Amino acid sequence: MTDARQYGELATQLILEARRSTQTDTLLKYNDGLVRSLIREQRDLERAAESLMTENTAPPPALLIIQTAINRNKRCLLAYHSHRVDRLRDMYWAVGGALPHILTNQDIRSKLSPHEVDYLRSYNSSVMEFRAEFSHELDITAGITHPPKDLHVMVRVVRDCGVIQTELGSIDFKKGQRFMVRRADIEHLIVQGYLEEV
Amino acid sequence: MPAIRRGSPPPFIPDDETPLEKLTRHWMNERHAPDILPAQEDLLGTLLDHLRRQSEVVQLLRGDPSTSEEEHIRIVLVQTEIERVKFIVRSYVRTRLFKIEKYARFITTNAEIQTRLTAAERDHASRHAKITDRHFHFSVLQSLPETQSHLDDTAIFMPPMITEPDNSIPVFVHALQNCPKITLPDGTSLEMEKGHISLTSYNVVQHLVARGEVELV
Repeated sequence: MTDARQYGELATQLILEARRSTQTDTLLKYNDGLVRSLIREQRDLERAAESLMTENTAPPPALLIIQTAINRNKRCLLAYHSHRVDRLRDMYWAVGGALPHILTNQDIRSKLSPHEVDYLRSYNSSVMEFRAEFSHELDITAGITHPPKDLHVMVRVVRDCGVIQTELGSIDFKKGQRFMVRRADIEHLIVQGYLEEV
Repeated sequence: MPAIRRGSPPPFIPDDETPLEKLTRHWMNERHAPDILPAQEDLLGTLLDHLRRQSEVVQLLRGDPSTSEEEHIRIVLVQTEIERVKFIVRSYVRTRLFKIEKYARFITTNAEIQTRLTAAERDHASRHAKITDRHFHFSVLQSLPETQSHLDDTAIFMPPMITEPDNSIPVFVHALQNCPKITLPDGTSLEMEKGHISLTSYNVVQHLVARGEVELV
């Protein structure tokens, strides 16, 4: 670290990272190092502020600068985390609320902080609780991007996914096979990449 | 000039509007309004009951060997329609859920907005506010010095920490019938006739949306 660094420079880096993530629509790896250095900076700033606060005299102007830097850093830290959980929730809904699908994906898993994994777990149970309010007729976690046009869909099996209950009875989906099935029965498998629409 | 109807709201919405048409209107409004609109629990309940009954009838008919070829085609049509209605219900519920999560902290502190939510939605809002706070606490706040470790900062020159619905955003309104005069932010007034479409800020037409005199498009 160089002495020339200004207050708030690290925070700006963090915000830039969040913005890049939005612009490229990708989840970047949780920047633990940067977050830690920012928290260290916050502690240093706090100490600097304390030393300036003296009992009898009016607070020196420098204190105002330091307080502003503290507030800004903190806001940036929170904004970064808030941005990330927004992305995580988007990701969660994009796979139709299939949490294991996200957590077993090594590539995604390596980009999350342990707290974010916890967050996803509690978010998932909250959504599940909400979903339980509706009858089993209606699965609110199913897709809402395309209105259904056809009842049935031709699918190709990309990965084995075992025996699935459909309206035609149970079908054992094996890689390479093709089936004509009711969309509502297997839509979650398309979303998670087990099946592919033909 | 069309008579301006004031006072007790007359039945603006024609009675022959089907539950699905009603829901479609509420769904569109919900999607375009920045604020959370009153929950349509009864309407949703009616529709879900209807869907369930239809699905049962379909199951029964499909299993019946005497069902003719032509009837099977009709069944497919009914099933498709069921899926399409479900899509709208789902999208409606999810739109509300998205806003509830966005404003979760605001909802927990504001009694008025809570009256517009269902019990399940209120629960989800408070759960959501809690898990988000907890995440912030464990990831950031607990590591900061004591004086900085609170979430409710009211620092000057900074936007507030709690996201509130911004009712000043522009929306497109479509008048379903002749509307009473409304006052625009610049002081001029606008009287929309039936079928009129206008771009204005949401808080100007908020009460018209609530009364069903206009819809958002």
